[in-house]
Amino acid sequence: MAIKFKSLSYIYDEGMPYAHKALDDINLELVEGKVTAIIGETGSGKSTLVEHLNALLLPSSGSLEILDREIVAREKNKGLKALRKEVGLVFQFSEYQLFEETILKDVAFGPKNYGISEEEANDKARKALKLVGIDEKMFDVSPFDISGGQKRRIAIAGILALEPSVLVLDEPTAGLDPKGAQEMIEIFITLNRKQGKTIIIVSHDNEMVYNYAENTVLMEKGRIAYCGPTLELFNNDELVRKYHLLEPQLVSFKRMLKEEGFKVPAEIRTIGELAKYMGKEVRKR
Amino acid sequence: MNNLVFGKYIPIKSPIHDLDPRAKIAALFVMIAAVFIPKSWYCYALLGVIILGIVLLSHIKITMILKALKPTMFMMAFLLIINCLTVKTGTVLLSYKSFVIYSDAVLNTLFIVVRLLLMIMLTTILTATTKPLDLTLGIESLLSPLKVIHFPYHEIAMMISIALRFIPTIIEETMRIMNSQKSRGVDFEEGKLREKINAILSLIIPLFTVAFQRAFELADAMEARGYVPDQERTKYHTLKFRFKDFLFLLFAHILLALMILSRFYL
Repeated sequence: MAIKFKSLSYIYDEGMPYAHKALDDINLELVEGKVTAIIGETGSGKSTLVEHLNALLLPSSGSLEILDREIVAREKNKGLKALRKEVGLVFQFSEYQLFEETILKDVAFGPKNYGISEEEANDKARKALKLVGIDEKMFDVSPFDISGGQKRRIAIAGILALEPSVLVLDEPTAGLDPKGAQEMIEIFITLNRKQGKTIIIVSHDNEMVYNYAENTVLMEKGRIAYCGPTLELFNNDELVRKYHLLEPQLVSFKRMLKEEGFKVPAEIRTIGELAKYMGKEVRKR
Repeated sequence: MNNLVFGKYIPIKSPIHDLDPRAKIAALFVMIAAVFIPKSWYCYALLGVIILGIVLLSHIKITMILKALKPTMFMMAFLLIINCLTVKTGTVLLSYKSFVIYSDAVLNTLFIVVRLLLMIMLTTILTATTKPLDLTLGIESLLSPLKVIHFPYHEIAMMISIALRFIPTIIEETMRIMNSQKSRGVDFEEGKLREKINAILSLIIPLFTVAFQRAFELADAMEARGYVPDQERTKYHTLKFRFKDFLFLLFAHILLALMILSRFYL
């Protein structure tokens, strides 16, 4: 199974003089059970693309296949609420969605909307909160009395509590400190490895993308410029230059090592792996 | 949320877009007065043709004006019912037992409906052809003579322009929060009353939080740039009153004069 976009276009304010085509004939397949990154400049259509995944936006033309559902332009689409439980979407600056009196209540709000009992919802909320590293002592604190970074974690827990099988994150780490961002990403990667959840991350952070995403979709002006393995994109100098991508530090470092005569394998993607490899190589010399 | 037509600026070029906002605002008031004066249908035919002419000149689609009129339909139907029940003059049009509809009731309603239609058309022309910022600049300039009586015209204009500026932002913010809550399974369209109240709460509380936060941030940003309310300020955009603006305003006044004369001669 895969998530398939079939010649999907989306136009904002269709029929008005200021109509704007945000997605232009997108054909795309996202593999389930993997971590996929979506990158591209601001305004290239990344957010519009991911808002189609849980049918918050419906295509102006074309169609989208996701989890045995097909969403077709200009057709009545029913039961979108059920789809939204399976495809969890975390928005940019999601901390602004909090509204309940306590953190626990806020996180349990999502599951409760799907008609399960209060206790069950609280159980799911507790699990989700632990997953994002919120201490039990804080469960009864108001979500308005905590720091921005913690608010973000709680908003993400609010989606995790729905236990979606596809998790879509629109710049989940924007505005977080580097340590917080790293922790956040590791939570998602663990969810992917341990529970096989499909993770789709919109990001500006090419370092993170290079380290963690198996596949990358590069968008440019509402079209797909590249879709495939992340390593093949960033290890290809020509593509990096053509699309003005910011090269991950590790890629530059690997190139420098190659110039020094080390045959660094292309599949090395984290600094840890590189250190191990270099350790061996240096000892050999 | 996207069908908010009333009060939306349409960014195109037209002779009406090109006029000085002060001329447009003043002409709007004069013309609205002209719309409410006459008692003869000939005058309304003339006004209708002229106002339609201005709509055509402004290159706004007629369908857009119609959309702006839609929300007033309910009010007009309500007016008709009230008039039918209260007005007891003129000839009898329809009678059913003790319930009688008189011709004046229908006529009166028609007058009000036509006046409202023309008035809404005029205001839509103004807001559709004038950028919100120009609109406030115009209001500020028109109110400036009131400084003799220490009327805070600049503060009022600043408040209006900030309010106008933040309407799209707040709409955008509303959409975003709505989408976030939809992603958490909130159904804004269907559901029982209790669920609906909950849905609205999940929208309003974050919206208020964001609005206050924005307000504080804006106040800080303005202070950081040295904004002092009662200081004399220079402007980046200055308005120029040209001959065509004068002509347009003159035209509005002639129309008003004609309508006043019609009361005596028609």
